[in-house]
Amino acid sequence: MIAQLWQYVLAGVAAGAIYALIAAGFVLIYQVTGLINFAQGEFAMIGAMTASALATGGMPVLEAAGIAVLAAAVTGALCYVLAIRPARASTGVTLIFITLGLDVALRGLGLLVWGTNPLSLPAFSGGASVNIFGGVLSPQSIWVLVTDLLVFAALYVFFRHTHAGTAVRAAVANPPIASTFGIPLRTFAFWSFVAAAAIGGLGGVVVAPITSATYDMGLTLGLAGFVAAVLGGLDSLPGALVGGFVLGIVEKLAGGLISTGWEQGVGFLILVLVLVLRPQGLLGRAVRRA
Amino acid sequence: MYGRFGLVLLALVAMLVWFLPSYYTGLLTQIGLYALVTIGLNLFMGYAGQVSLGQAAFVGIGAYTSAALAVKGHVTPWLGLIAGALVAALVAYVLSFIALRLRENLLALATLALGIVINVVFNEWEYIGGSSGFKDIPGFTLGAFAFDQRAYAILAWALVVLGIWFAGNIVRSSFGRALVAISAGELGAQTLGVDSERLKRQTFVLSAVYAGVAGAVYASSFSYIDPSSFSFLLSVQFVLMSVIGGIRSLWGAVIGAGVVVALGQVLQNVVPLVLPSARGDFQQFFLGVILIAMLILLPRGIASRFSEART
Repeated sequence: MIAQLWQYVLAGVAAGAIYALIAAGFVLIYQVTGLINFAQGEFAMIGAMTASALATGGMPVLEAAGIAVLAAAVTGALCYVLAIRPARASTGVTLIFITLGLDVALRGLGLLVWGTNPLSLPAFSGGASVNIFGGVLSPQSIWVLVTDLLVFAALYVFFRHTHAGTAVRAAVANPPIASTFGIPLRTFAFWSFVAAAAIGGLGGVVVAPITSATYDMGLTLGLAGFVAAVLGGLDSLPGALVGGFVLGIVEKLAGGLISTGWEQGVGFLILVLVLVLRPQGLLGRAVRRA
Repeated sequence: MYGRFGLVLLALVAMLVWFLPSYYTGLLTQIGLYALVTIGLNLFMGYAGQVSLGQAAFVGIGAYTSAALAVKGHVTPWLGLIAGALVAALVAYVLSFIALRLRENLLALATLALGIVINVVFNEWEYIGGSSGFKDIPGFTLGAFAFDQRAYAILAWALVVLGIWFAGNIVRSSFGRALVAISAGELGAQTLGVDSERLKRQTFVLSAVYAGVAGAVYASSFSYIDPSSFSFLLSVQFVLMSVIGGIRSLWGAVIGAGVVVALGQVLQNVVPLVLPSARGDFQQFFLGVILIAMLILLPRGIASRFSEART
């Protein structure tokens, strides 16, 4: 029984690592623009589908992965330029609907481009599964965890130790004053979309060998990413990491102990509980603009 | 004004169904039912200024309640319709204590999540058919007359007219003005003595009643439901109908429902000619693009173009 539970936890860690990447994208965009981007999961879909399609066509996996992340980043840039910036004068609800429209449009685009059949992507490396205290973690799951580590380390270095990162933090802390000091808020909004899309795309690429890639994977991933982001605190990048792992573990435990159909349901029950009991999340500060 | 125009429209539908092929009569029913949901949604989103991305769940609750009563308990769909509305209202009432504490972004997220949780319940609850849903749901009858496609179209549009009449009265009452005050600024409305929490709750419950009634009629008229009939994509379509017609408008809901259903038909027939490989729910690409384009170009909807721009 204990061994079984431990295995669920490990599976949850592997799933949670992906959620954390998607959640990081939400947090980036929310911090810089105050917007919840409902299309975040679709960036992962674009990444996963592009990489799988290219690899199926014979391209080496890592090369395909690189192009896929680029494709996701370009998609993010286009989303901002074509849909978000023209509506920047709109109120909150309109912008929510616009990102919702982006989500639906991108999913439909994936369907039109790649069809309904799942595509598969070979694992990044061969090798035996890793045994951790009696539980098993596949080599690809290790890749996912390493990706997490690298992405969050890079974000940490960017925000804490670079000039541009400090400027972004200033812009988040107080937009009008940051603006008077010459910090280009609108440029930051653009780059937050690009970065969030690239990170989401990377998440899709690393998860594709585990789950295979389908045009509609973005909704599930995106929603899990939301839950992770809200759970950790929408304005906290470390929160995204913690929220992702907590959600992954709880989902897999629920899936193993109740029924796999409840995996997603439990995630949302957590979301609802967090929204009611602690809307700022585990690691977040009080919610801005309540 | 609402009443007379509505009766003319109803008479028109009642005449039209005798000439239309039954396929189009079915579409007419669908437009009517979608319009009904969107009228309720517009009260909640347009007038009260809130967001719901989970409205399809309430349609599902109405449909499942009526279908379960009819299939398992042999209860007439007329009672099923009332029961469906009541259960949807009850669920909305309970959920309102969670959801309506939130605003904008987080309210959108919460309603989306609740909608999906309700869909998971449809999928996992074996008593109501699990993932295969209900087949052969009994239809409405009136004495010895069993409803056909025409009768359903007339029923649906009679409900639309009734729904608009009722919503119109609400909008023009002090209740409606208080809702608009909430959407303009909740704190301001509260200082003017508006019990915003109660009003939002009542409007949310009312929108669920509209959805539940539509769901109950849907279940009987299509005689088949499963969880995928009430997915997130349907909730998005309701938002699109609302936005296209004009979010703060009642007749706009009818326009929006008509445009979205017609658009779905056109896309289904035209796109495969251009892109032979297209199958599945590819329409969502166009729905999404249109939603974005509408919000950027005509954020107040089509109806705003030819109705007096009040409030």
